[in-house]
Amino acid sequence: MTKHKTKLFAAACAGALLLAGCGKKDETLKLFSWSEYVPQAVIDKFTEETGIKVAVENYSSNEEMLAKLLAGGGAYDLIQPSEYTVQAMIKEDLLQELDQEKIPNLKNLAPEFRNMPFDPNNKFSVPWMAGFVGIVYNAEVVPGPIVSYKDVFTDEHAGRIVVLDDAREIVTWGLATAGIPINDVSDENLATITPLLKDWLGKVKVFDSDSPKTAMSNGDTDIGIVWSGEGALLFAENPKFQWVMPVEGVHMFVDNLAIPKTSRNKDKAEAFINFILRPDISKMISDEFPYYNPNLEARALLSPEQLNNPASYPPGFDVTSAQLFTDIGEQASKVDELITTIKAQ
Amino acid sequence: MTDAPSLVPLGRRWWLPQGPAVQRAFFGGWTIAVFAFLYLPIVLLVVYSFNDSRLNLYWAGFTTKWYGLLFGNEVLLRAFQNSLIVAAATTTLAVIIGTSAAWLLYRYRFPAQQTLGLLIFIPMVMPEVLMGVSLLVLFVSLGIPLGYGTLIIAHTTFCFPFVLVGVQARLQGIDPSLEEAAMDLGATPLKAFWLVIVPYLMPAIVAGALMSFTLSFDEYIVTIFTSGADSQTLPLKVYGMVRVGLNPQLNALSTLFIAATALLVIASQIFTRRKTL
Amino acid sequence: MAVTAATAVLPTGPSLQRRAGLGPWFAVTPMLGWLALFVIVPTLMLVVVSFCERDALGRIVYSFTFENYTRAFDWKWLKILGISVWYAFLTTVICLVLGYPVAYFIGRSSERVRGLLIMLVMIPFWTSFLIRTYAWISILSHEGLLNALLMTLNITSAPIGFMYTPFAVILGLVYNFLPFMILPIYTSVEKLDGSLIEAAYDLGARPARVFSQVVLPLTQPGIAAGILLVFVPAIAMFAITNLMGGGANPTIGEVIQNQFTRARNQPFGAALGVLLLAIFIFSLWLSSKFRRSEQE
Repeated sequence: MTKHKTKLFAAACAGALLLAGCGKKDETLKLFSWSEYVPQAVIDKFTEETGIKVAVENYSSNEEMLAKLLAGGGAYDLIQPSEYTVQAMIKEDLLQELDQEKIPNLKNLAPEFRNMPFDPNNKFSVPWMAGFVGIVYNAEVVPGPIVSYKDVFTDEHAGRIVVLDDAREIVTWGLATAGIPINDVSDENLATITPLLKDWLGKVKVFDSDSPKTAMSNGDTDIGIVWSGEGALLFAENPKFQWVMPVEGVHMFVDNLAIPKTSRNKDKAEAFINFILRPDISKMISDEFPYYNPNLEARALLSPEQLNNPASYPPGFDVTSAQLFTDIGEQASKVDELITTIKAQ
Repeated sequence: MTDAPSLVPLGRRWWLPQGPAVQRAFFGGWTIAVFAFLYLPIVLLVVYSFNDSRLNLYWAGFTTKWYGLLFGNEVLLRAFQNSLIVAAATTTLAVIIGTSAAWLLYRYRFPAQQTLGLLIFIPMVMPEVLMGVSLLVLFVSLGIPLGYGTLIIAHTTFCFPFVLVGVQARLQGIDPSLEEAAMDLGATPLKAFWLVIVPYLMPAIVAGALMSFTLSFDEYIVTIFTSGADSQTLPLKVYGMVRVGLNPQLNALSTLFIAATALLVIASQIFTRRKTL
Repeated sequence: MAVTAATAVLPTGPSLQRRAGLGPWFAVTPMLGWLALFVIVPTLMLVVVSFCERDALGRIVYSFTFENYTRAFDWKWLKILGISVWYAFLTTVICLVLGYPVAYFIGRSSERVRGLLIMLVMIPFWTSFLIRTYAWISILSHEGLLNALLMTLNITSAPIGFMYTPFAVILGLVYNFLPFMILPIYTSVEKLDGSLIEAAYDLGARPARVFSQVVLPLTQPGIAAGILLVFVPAIAMFAITNLMGGGANPTIGEVIQNQFTRARNQPFGAALGVLLLAIFIFSLWLSSKFRRSEQE
């Protein structure tokens, strides 16, 4: 048995050396993206049409991406930061300016996504997908009407609620209910909403940012505050899962593509960005992930079923009224500590 | 009258363990129950691999399409292959380092022996994210590019203590005359180690190898920080899948893998010649 | 508990230990080198970082500060640490009770069956952790198999909430750690000399006594190893507790993980980690001192 293992180990070493020797690194586009956010079909089509190979690495949170990027791990050509991360990275001069001549398909984007507050005129980033955080509930079990965050955290729902396991999100709902701007996370404001949050979180059964739909569809919870993509998947599975945008104000998140300063393949990265802005390619992304597609031309290609999903494309909702996160820097730590403390009680 | 132990004559009922019948029934029954517990979710997982539904919430009909799709899913298969390579290499290294270290620490007196013993536990106690980030910084500052090598090193670091502890336990109460006898017959310490001690330690080595392989195969956090683009392993691909629902192709992959392994093991046990009578 | 187990496994220098000659020194150098480079250096880096600050983006700023430690010595974090240790303790005890008979049975089986069974113990864990855990979720959930079974058998009339409870957390932990208890105990049982046990019976001892006076002491190293290999990693475990417990009761592993992700406060996470290490090593050292004085 030891002999076989030695052989296998030798093979592994040889393999590793071979791969290390393959000096094709500079010709490959290194994409660092959220796991499962870039359909493989899109990558394959890109390689097929342009001949550029794509090496994909995944992460599962903005901060994980930042941690690896800042530690110097891997010279990535494309990353997928969310809006507040883009803002922070621009401030610290970590992104390369985009050459918009190379990205003519920018015109396909809806106008409100061409000039977002965190990156005016798309100087450094291009929106990939947007989404919201809203309320989902099982209409067969929960009688309406549900319209606000407060309606979720009632005594009847105690022990049957699922919310995102995201301290910043939770704090946002508290701030919105208290009428405070959601990006104003000063210590005083946090203290103001602490009693409210304590009351709310005591009633929550499940905290889950990865797959809150599981608790809903398994019947372990009846109501929750989740990502719109989750709501859309639930609705598509069974229309009993209703989606509501809270009246206190909805906030939108926008995931973007950006090119870090350490990239050496800027033109290839820009080619990829231009590629995914094509309506047919953007549609492929929408088919896999029912989030809000900022690409107007692509939306025209979507099926009525996709467009009628209230979680993907909330009817009558004015996207320009949605609030975006700004970067809160060191306060992120205080926010996290507050929620962790409340949870631990 | 106390129960007389019934020595089961080998050759006839070779599959029964030794001991009084009541004991055998009790321990055997307990084992079956525990195995049922261990395999319950596995059975479910296998069943779902044939379920005609993407989200796997209820049974929607029998299908083998996930298996078909799996064979075309190059990304997933390559990730699986990477996991296997890394786990195999990690296991080999961990076994070599862990076993030899356990023996050397047992047999010889080194200065600062106690400290060494403590240091070995650090990778077991340290939360994975800390190990991942600190190793990443180490690799970057040493200029080592991230890839298979760094990944295997990282995995081995937290796997070898498991081998070491297991082997140390087996060494406790070892008959010292074992090694002495071999050396009396003219073997060098190294030869004595290889020909006498290692066979004695084999169950612990196998146990350590099994644990290392399992730990490495499923490791996510350390992998995220120490892998490169060409060494994306299966957990990295899988962890992102929960957002759109775990792909039943994964179920198919797991089913095939454990079926293959189980069959291999059963076959090897049937076809190995019995070493002792 | 684990600490006593750890020191039981630590080499305490039997009388036949020789002073290390050139050969052994040469042989131990690879391990020493590995330890030095990949364990000591990263640990030192961690200690250094724990005394640093960080900027708004989360990057480490190398200016000395005690604030991470003063912040860590707060009841809220220590309480979370306490819960994590408690879960680990429960898990270890249950794994021991469940796993020992299995290890005994397999270890005393004939050679062929032994190899097969021990592999079969581990094989379920070569499926991906996530699909295994989601399989458990679908068994234990409101509309899952367990509730369906209980209601069909008319044992209950309404679904019980098994998921997202401490019960689910311990079940998940025990499930994932059981092989790590069974395997070490098995290696001790396997070398049990059948004639010793026979002799005990021949002398008229009842099975229970044979067990407690002969079998248990002889398998004690395996038990100690099993306890170590379950208790220690279980403290820092968070993926299982998060998934099965619904994230309502954060563990220390989760808190440290958060520092590196959402909270963007790596120095604080490092400080917590260093504390965890320090507590563990200190108790190990204490216990070994205690053991040595016991032996004298």
